[in-house]
Amino acid sequence: MTGWIRWTAPAAAVISLSAPAYAVQYLSVGEAQKLAFPSASFTEVQPGRVWKTSSGGIFVLDHVIGKHLYIDYAVSIVGGRVHRVDILQYRESYGGEVRSPSWLGQFVGKTSGSPLKVGADIRNISGATLSSMHVTEGVKRILDAYGHLR
Amino acid sequence: MDISDSVRRTQPLLGTFVEIAAAGAERGDLQQVIDEAFAAVAQVHRLMSFHDPHSDVSLLNREASTRAVAVHAWTYQVLQMATELHRQSAGVFDVTVAPLLQQRGLLPRDADDPAPAMDQRSAEAAVELLGEGRVRYRRPRTRIDPGGIAKGFAVDRALDVLRQHGLTRGLVNAGGDLAAFGPEPELVHIRHPANAGQVLGSAAIANAALASSGRTFDLLQLSAAGDCAVFDPVTQRPVRGIIGATVRAPSCMVADALTKVVMIVGEGAESLLRRYRASALFVLESGDVWITPDWQDAVRLAA
Repeated sequence: MTGWIRWTAPAAAVISLSAPAYAVQYLSVGEAQKLAFPSASFTEVQPGRVWKTSSGGIFVLDHVIGKHLYIDYAVSIVGGRVHRVDILQYRESYGGEVRSPSWLGQFVGKTSGSPLKVGADIRNISGATLSSMHVTEGVKRILDAYGHLR
Repeated sequence: MDISDSVRRTQPLLGTFVEIAAAGAERGDLQQVIDEAFAAVAQVHRLMSFHDPHSDVSLLNREASTRAVAVHAWTYQVLQMATELHRQSAGVFDVTVAPLLQQRGLLPRDADDPAPAMDQRSAEAAVELLGEGRVRYRRPRTRIDPGGIAKGFAVDRALDVLRQHGLTRGLVNAGGDLAAFGPEPELVHIRHPANAGQVLGSAAIANAALASSGRTFDLLQLSAAGDCAVFDPVTQRPVRGIIGATVRAPSCMVADALTKVVMIVGEGAESLLRRYRASALFVLESGDVWITPDWQDAVRLAA
């Protein structure tokens, strides 16, 4: 290896590739429940949000949403402690579609066996680290709210 | 690899999103192996978190200035590589920059800890490895944060778990620091360091690791969250001029650490990259990209 090669960015070319989308459906709610509490049965306590299990656990579904980011995640609680946290869906989009119901609709019924291909077909991303702080804060809120549910 | 045979999952760990994909076994078995791989990442997190008072790193920062402290084999392994890179990079790679990050509020500090300050620079490494997993600091105010290398190490450990189970394909991506094995190369898009919504280019990664550094982004607001979190230990200031760096290397621990060196010294990292059989690109504020020639065929820039 000798030296470096310089590549001068034509500004227009970079802009033409703006608005990529990265979206993956990792787990359905059912799959996430089975991973967290493999042999338990679930009783819905708050529709679509909180379940109690026959083994004494609690399963809470939540999401974070921003202009360009939507994350569905599940928190499993056992004995007042976080048992596990799983991301069910993760999507980044820069066309502003994240809030649109029709755009969200395309994910309904997808399972982890059918990863989504959206826009530029981006499956793996490297780059400056994205913070998971919003999810971590959400987990704390959920633990405070439901940790002592019996 | 047909993706219908693969399982892909994500958990929030190491302050970012860790994604693990695997193929080559029954679905239920893949889920179990992936759980085990996440557990390896979680263990690295527990051992090396600066934030967790029970981590090896916190124990070292509290006590290693006054006595030799025994740490987990993984922590020791990371510190071995960190001190080797410190020596090989003439002090540019430095896990003892923690006080600079504390001064800027990028890392927390204990109320009873004196005002954070980096010790006088010296050619001698501030961290002394005594063998048998024991570590001592040479100076009283030394504080380490292995965040610049531990994430890559966590990726390597998780990928080891997938390999040990004889899977045909595996990929671990910890917020952009990733490694993969398998019969087909993995296509990885590289985020533009100036704008999370843009793609700089893509690289094919086959049985290798890729890591990137730059500013952190808050995707809820799509804002660059302020300063670059890579500090130049010589000027003791955030890196300027270079806004992002991406490195391909045989292991993710090395790739992760070398991104910091490339962020700081740019072209000056050439011989170090060669020593560790690594390739790199970096992006200047002007938008210009510099890339090592051995990598230009595997990287497609967005043109």
